[in-house]
Order: sequence, then C-alpha cells, then structure tokens
Amino acid sequence: MSQSLVLMLLGGTVLRISAFSTTYLNYVKPGFRPFLIAAGAVLVVLGVVGLIRDWRRPADTTASTATSTASTSDSVSTSAPASASDSASASAPASTSGSAAASVSASASASGPGSHAGHGGHDHSHVPQVAWLLCLPVFALFLISPPALGSYAAARVDTAPPPPAASEAVAYQPLPADRATDMTVGEFIGRAWGDKNKTLTGRQVRLTGFVVPAKKKNQWYVTRMQLACCAADAFPLKVTVRGANQPPADTWVEVTGTWIPPKSDNVPLGTVPPEISAISVDPIQAPSEPYE
Amino acid sequence: MSGRVTIDRPPDDSSGGPGASDVPGSTGGPGGRPLSAEEESGARTGRGAGDGGWDDDSVPPADWGRREAAGVAVPWAFVAVIVVLLAGRWVLAPYLTSPALQTWATIFVAICVQALPFLVFGVALSAAIAAFVPASFWTRALPRRPAVAVPVAGVAGAVLPGCECASVPVASGLMARGVTPAAALAFLLASPAINPIVLVATAVAFPNEPMMVVGRFAASLAVAVLAGWIWLRFGKAGWLRNRPHAHEGESKLAVFAAAMRHDLLHAGGFLMVGGLAAATLNVVVPREWLDSVAGIPWLSILVLALLAVLLSICSEADAFVAASLNTFSPTAQLAFLVVGPMVDLKLIALQIGTFGRSFAVRFVPLTFGLAVLVSAVVGWVLL
Repeated sequence: MSQSLVLMLLGGTVLRISAFSTTYLNYVKPGFRPFLIAAGAVLVVLGVVGLIRDWRRPADTTASTATSTASTSDSVSTSAPASASDSASASAPASTSGSAAASVSASASASGPGSHAGHGGHDHSHVPQVAWLLCLPVFALFLISPPALGSYAAARVDTAPPPPAASEAVAYQPLPADRATDMTVGEFIGRAWGDKNKTLTGRQVRLTGFVVPAKKKNQWYVTRMQLACCAADAFPLKVTVRGANQPPADTWVEVTGTWIPPKSDNVPLGTVPPEISAISVDPIQAPSEPYE
Repeated sequence: MSGRVTIDRPPDDSSGGPGASDVPGSTGGPGGRPLSAEEESGARTGRGAGDGGWDDDSVPPADWGRREAAGVAVPWAFVAVIVVLLAGRWVLAPYLTSPALQTWATIFVAICVQALPFLVFGVALSAAIAAFVPASFWTRALPRRPAVAVPVAGVAGAVLPGCECASVPVASGLMARGVTPAAALAFLLASPAINPIVLVATAVAFPNEPMMVVGRFAASLAVAVLAGWIWLRFGKAGWLRNRPHAHEGESKLAVFAAAMRHDLLHAGGFLMVGGLAAATLNVVVPREWLDSVAGIPWLSILVLALLAVLLSICSEADAFVAASLNTFSPTAQLAFLVVGPMVDLKLIALQIGTFGRSFAVRFVPLTFGLAVLVSAVVGWVLL
C-alpha cells in the first residue's frame, strides 16, 4: 500500500507544479509542461490502480499487525511474513482472489518473501527501501520550495557567456531611434558582440533580469540564466551595468540604457561582459518565466 | 517484577498488543493460561523475546485481527512522511533559506523533474515489451548469432527517442524477454546518444561544426558495439541480476501495471540517488577549475569525460553544455558528448538498481574507458 501512496504523492506533486501552477518554470523549459503533466498523471493512475488492488485483497495484510505489541512501522513490516501463514487461515473467507493468485501477483500486498526468492532478496510486498527516496523531491519542493536560480548560482560561474557563432553576425534588424527597445539579455549580448552593423550604438534598450553584485566597484550585473534543458545546465548571461546604484542582490529590475562600446578592440570577445550605461533602473516583480 | 510491569504500562498501550489488557492483573493467553512474569516481561520489553514464544500461537484472536483491519492497512512510514511534510512546512521551512541550499535544491529538483517524464516513458515502454510483445518476436527480429545481434541492436538504438533514463529500463525489459544481454547492453549504450532528437540538438549546438554530429554518432555507436562484444566474450550471466519474470496466468494489463510499478519504484529511487550526487557536485565544484586544465590535450579529454560523469546532464541537453565549454578542444568536447549518455552518476545509480552492483562495477569502468579511448581516436581522425 505504501508504494501506491508514494507514487501518488510524487505524481500529485508533479501535477501540482506543472498542471496547477507555473512552479515548474523554475526548473525546466516551458515546452516541457505536457510531458510533466503526462508523467504526473501516469504516476497518480498507477498509484490509484495499486490502491484499488490492495483494497480488494486486504486479507493477507490484515492480521499481521495483531502480533505486534506496539503499532510502530517496523513491527508492521517485520511481523508480516512471520504471521502470514496463520493469518491466512484465519481470514481466508475474506480473501476475494484466493491465496494462489495473491502469492503470485507482483503487487500482492503481503506475499511471503519466499515467492520471489531469486529476486535480490526483496519481495514485492513493501516499498523497496530505495523507493522512499522518491519522496525527496517532494520534501525539497514543500520545505525549501526552491526558487529559480539567482545571484548565488550566477556568481559561481565567473566567466562571461560564450561569444555567439559568427554566422549570426548579420541577422540583426536595426533598432528604432525614438524609443527604448525591449530586448532579452541574450540578444543584447549577441548584438554587442556579433553585429557587423553595430545596431546597438546610440540606441536605448530595456533589459530585464536580476541583480548580481560584481567584484569591482560602481558596477553590477543585470543577469538572466539561460537554459538548454533544465536548471542543471543553466548558464548566466550577464551585462555589466554602470551609472546606477546597485539594488539588493536577486532583485528583479528593468534596466533602461545604452550600450557602451568596448574601449579597445584588443579584448577578445567572450572574456568580459558587454556594458550598458543605465538611464533608469526600475524594480519589478519576478517574471513567471525566469529563464531565457 | 510482574507488578512493576503492570504499573509501568502506559494506558494507551492496550490498543497495541494482544498481551495488553484493560484490566490489570487479568493478563493471560487466549486459552486462559496465565502468563508468567518472564513471558510477560518479554512481551513488554521487546518483540525479540516474544517472537519465538507465544507470539506465533493463536494469541491474536481471529476477531482481533479483523477488528484491526482498517488500522493495519495504515502504512505508518508513509504517515510519518506526511506528518514531517506538514509539520516541516511550518517549523523547518523558515530556516531553509540559505542561497547555497536553495541553489542545490533547485538543481536537484530540476534534474528529477526533467528526468521523470523520460523515466516514466522508458518504464512504460519496458513494461509494454514485457507484457505485450511475445518473447518469440525478439528471437525472430534479431540475428541468431549474438556477435551479429550486438551491432544490429546498437543501430536499433537510433529508434528510441529519449535520454538515458529511458534506455535502462527498456534494456532490462529486453533482457527479460530473452534478448542476449550483450545485445541489450549495446542498445542501452547506443540509444541515448544516437537517436535523432539528440543528433539534432547536437547539430543546433554546434552550428559550424557538422563533423561534431558525425563524430558523436560514429564514436557512440562504436563504443556501444565494442562494449557489447567485450561483454559477449568475457561477461558472465551471474553478474546480471535477474528481473522477476512475468507471471503466467495473469492478465496482460496486470503484468503491465505490476512491471511499471516495480521498475518505477526501483529505478526512480536510484534516479534520486544520482540526482542528489549530481546536484551536490554541480554546486560544489567551481567551474574555474576546469579552465585551468583546458590547454593540456590529454588531460582536457579526461577532465571533460569526468565532468560528463559528474554533471549527469540529459543527453538531449549535453550538447549545449559542451558547446559552452569552448575553451576546450573539439576532441575533449566530443569525449564529453560520448561519455555523458553512457556513464554518469544518475545512470550508474540506475544501473545498480536495475542490474545489480556486481554488474555496475564491471560495466561502468569498461564503458568509461572505451568511451574515452574511442572519442580520442575519432576526434583525432575527424575533428
């Protein structure tokens, strides 16, 4: 029975973060949602099916705890095989499926260990110990409720983002001169490094990201993490902000400003983040989709 | 002694055991046999003392067991989990806010959440193979000679679109249906690296290096086939843990559901072990260490191969990470791409859970060594 409940707990948690909220966006890409919902649903269904099977065949487990002097969990599990033989006779009428079927079935709730002797020493009746670890992500989600990767993770990777491939160098459209253009941090870096036409020069842009302190004085980074697949492969895209006081780390901000072209061409691309001269810095709510 | 025991007994203990009665002094067996002080103290102090004695008699009256039926089914460990969850949310959660812990938890949950759909898919496919595909199909589909079946199975890995979490249960399902273990292992190694989704992702991540895709395909397939052949020649059947066979006489759906539950609980549990290790290393190992060795050719290949093991990135995403390690030589990046889908922490944990420890301690070093060697050779020729 516990194994069904563990599956349902995990499946329900997956559904909770994917189907009923956007929490999953802190961990994976948006396109992953249907797969998560499907996986969560499969887990819940498996759990429910298992529960129904256990419910219909309660006979083998029922009498087992009667032998334990205190109703603790380990006495439940250890005493079950010992009493299986005599309890089966006591409650045989209650068994709907018959003892033969019960002992063969892989999900029978208390078939004796002997029925699967060749199977690594554990029988199917109880949750294999390692399966309790399936509760760990549930604990992590409930207790720590891990947020999207922030300044701590971004600061760990000190190297600047990789330079864009040379083939992208021509693809950028010119920017309007009369207003600030909203732009992803990734696009800003791409234009700053890989744009032959230097379309950023003299144009106002607005970047959205969170604050990462810099080691040097009078500057900080507006940062966005980039995901390839999940948060384990996240990579920070940083733009150095100058001319504005640093808000507290991890604050989400909109930075409006203009690109500062590098002073010399000798610095190879990709070693120092591009810079922006800030006109205004406005704190905002964290976006529901925290990654680029 | 006897009186002391009676007085010490907590009042609510009466619900717990058959020896505990509401009225002090009336303790006795079901047959009216009075318990000696020795027997009773055994019942009080521990189950170990009572196990051999009256426990196995008819002491729990038949009606007692029935009355407890609802309570017995309560899985206490699970209840404890729920209690800790609910209590912890109020008591512990306010203290669990350190950025390092949160980053670790984010990466751990991300690995789990990301791998889970693939695991479920792989487990479902494996269970379907076990339940619905007759064993005779595989003997007809694969060449009879195992030495030929190995490369065929390796190439067949191209059809399973998924990452490595899916391939382990599928390979296990194939073995359970009588496929030569060596062929199933070749499939296990090849499928996460050479399926179309992964190859397209690699091409996207290396837009200017089409040879990277070719190299990845060639090196991965070569490692898979070589490992299969070596296993065929030197492997022993006893190293592989046998899967429980499908039981005759049950409906196919019941077999399907039972196989899925079994595999999910085992492989899923071990996936968590791998996720824990990978998340910890991801947070603990600073990336700057890597750049210091990037210039040394042989060392850089080894270091990126080890990094692929430690990071345990899904094979559909590892190309993007490899591309970001641009201070390294293409050959070292290729080693990262070849080793990652075949050997990594979560995969090692999954293999231990699925095939047993004595399998993993032999197979993992074999694959790792082959993968490093082959990718060094292929990288030297192609890149």
